[in-house]
Amino acid sequence: MSSVSFRKLEKSYGALRIVKGIDLEIADREFVVLVGPSGCGKSTTLRMLAGLESISGGEIRIGERVVNKLPPRERDIAMVFQDYALYPHKTVYENMAFSLKVRGVPAAEIKPRIAQAAEMLGIGQLLERKPSQLSGGQRQRVAMGRAIVRRPQVFLFDEPLSNLDAKLRGQVRTEIKRLHQAIGTTIIYVTHDQVEAMTLADRIVILKGGEIEQVGTPDEVYNSPASVFVGGFIGSPAMNFAKGTVRGGRIAFDGGAEIALDGRVNGKATALEGRDIIVGIRPEHFGAAEEGRQLSGRVQVVEPLGSDTLIHFALGSSTLTARVAPEMRPQPGEILSIGVDPSRIHLFDAATERALN
Amino acid sequence: MATASETSVVPTHNESATKWWTRFLDPSERTLAVLLLAPAALLLALIIVYPVCRLVWTSFQNLSLTSGVPAEFAGLENYRLMLDDPVFWETTWNTVLITLITVPGALFVGLAMALMANLPFKTKWPVRLSLLIPWALPLSFAGLIFAWFFHSEYGVVNDVLRRLGFEGVIWFNSANWAFAAICLTIIWKTSSFMALIILAGLQTIPRSLYEAAEVDGAGRMRQFFEITLPLLKPAIVVALIFRTITALQTFDIPFTMTRGGPGTSTATLAMYIHQNTVDFLDLGYGSALAVVMFALSMCVTAVYLRMIRAKG
Ligand SMILES: Nc1ncnc2c1ncn2[C@@H]1O[C@H](COP(=O)(O)OP(=O)(O)OP(=O)(O)O)[C@@H](O)[C@H]1O
Ligand SMILES: [Mg+2]
Repeated sequence: MSSVSFRKLEKSYGALRIVKGIDLEIADREFVVLVGPSGCGKSTTLRMLAGLESISGGEIRIGERVVNKLPPRERDIAMVFQDYALYPHKTVYENMAFSLKVRGVPAAEIKPRIAQAAEMLGIGQLLERKPSQLSGGQRQRVAMGRAIVRRPQVFLFDEPLSNLDAKLRGQVRTEIKRLHQAIGTTIIYVTHDQVEAMTLADRIVILKGGEIEQVGTPDEVYNSPASVFVGGFIGSPAMNFAKGTVRGGRIAFDGGAEIALDGRVNGKATALEGRDIIVGIRPEHFGAAEEGRQLSGRVQVVEPLGSDTLIHFALGSSTLTARVAPEMRPQPGEILSIGVDPSRIHLFDAATERALN
Repeated sequence: MATASETSVVPTHNESATKWWTRFLDPSERTLAVLLLAPAALLLALIIVYPVCRLVWTSFQNLSLTSGVPAEFAGLENYRLMLDDPVFWETTWNTVLITLITVPGALFVGLAMALMANLPFKTKWPVRLSLLIPWALPLSFAGLIFAWFFHSEYGVVNDVLRRLGFEGVIWFNSANWAFAAICLTIIWKTSSFMALIILAGLQTIPRSLYEAAEVDGAGRMRQFFEITLPLLKPAIVVALIFRTITALQTFDIPFTMTRGGPGTSTATLAMYIHQNTVDFLDLGYGSALAVVMFALSMCVTAVYLRMIRAKG
């Protein structure tokens, strides 16, 4: 088990910069999730850590060792690939035993280690099968088993659940979390699914265009997103954004509506006076209407989900989504008045899109 | 009752007569299957079964166009003659030897070429093209080129040998050297075909398997023997089947390079068949020889097929 650190990590293909100077310290036993939209450089970063991709600049340490130039086999990491990369001609047992055999672990030790890992993952009865005789979920587990038996310093996962159906994904996600709690090894996990990131991570690293947008615990990135991008990326349904201006301690939305800024940003209200801002409101943070703390808009679509109801309504030129109690069923076309708690809204600078609070 | 059944019999008979045709207009599943398979089966019978049967039949006949005697059934006479025919044994042995040398030879050279061609070259087409060229050349053309290469006076091989300080070899005067020259030529000509099939096989192996192996700690050698080779096995077996069958039928290259000489020391079974049927017009004996070659090919194919099945 080991810590990992990236210092000014860079990757370019020719003139094309893909990873633009990542600085990140990952503690021993930490579960870190790299999340971001497609093409933002998550896999590239992970593969540089694994040694499967050369680095163009900066430094990677595993524990105290600088591993910049070490081949993968000397980095003592294990990786679970998106397509699992199980050896098709080897049985499950042989797949799991391969890395141990290569490293010269005595046969007497291989067997109990595989048995233990297989039991942990519930694949004990599959050991004699070939990968082609397994279901997607079983293959996924075997791929994890192959990584576990190694007992590496660090586990790397590159979108390990993306080939599973929704139900199985939830199930395996829980298993991965349980696994981390059981063995405690440092895990670096890549995904583009924010739900996976939120549920699994000790800390989330949000990447955008090869740069770190924010690093923080799931609570931190949810409660205080550092930018419009993070606000919109984390949380489902996504955060609502509306443009407005601060005027006399109130937010004047472009559509004409206004809400008080009282309480929260009081001290800054004067500093913000006259500034163009982007207001972020999470759908789940709308509440009962209250004088001066409410927005009104025409209801466009109502989606009952059973557990709650999503209401899409117009505010000026933008459409906002509110997640409300399931009993609330306004009719499309109605004018809806809905409460906003000023302490739960997020303010971003309109020009830089960075958080203002 | 009797009259009733009698009256019913007559129309039924008529019906069944017309039904013979209507059955094809609205065929049952079974009839349809037979109908659909019939053209292919007929074609196969015409172009494979008939010639093979005809060949076997001819091999039982005393049919020599030069003897002036009409063909007559000779039983196993042709085959008995073969047993006492030293040229038959020599050419068969040459054929087997060529197979045993050039098939593994082409496999190794082809494998090496395929591995090289599979390296991440920036521009792939010159590599692929150079693989294709030897394959696309006609066999007899390759034979003619290499006959020149191995020419004792003007050949490039001897020239290189002399420059390196060795003595030149009069390749086609010695049975062993001539045989070696033929084998080298065949390997050159056929390894590109092996390489093409193996290259196709190599490209079906996902890159992530090598990455997984690398993370697992396997070096290059280990990756080759534990991943590449096992996953190439189906491609290799297919290539071996084709290559072995064509090796058993080797004709063009020794024919153009040595005409089987010196003596019959580099003649193959196929050349001996050609000689008997085309030069001597002894169709009976030639057919018997061809049956032997056919049997050899079938045996080899059966062995390979068993190899594939044992794997699956
Ligand atoms: N060999 C390469 N040559 C040039 N560009 C590359 C190469 N490999 C990756 N890229 C580019 O690098 C960028 C980052 O790729 P990467 O695979 O890291 O994305 P990702 O964040 O993992 O995305 P996804 O969620 O789709 O897997 C992409 O824009 C991709 O086009
Ligand atoms: Mg990726």
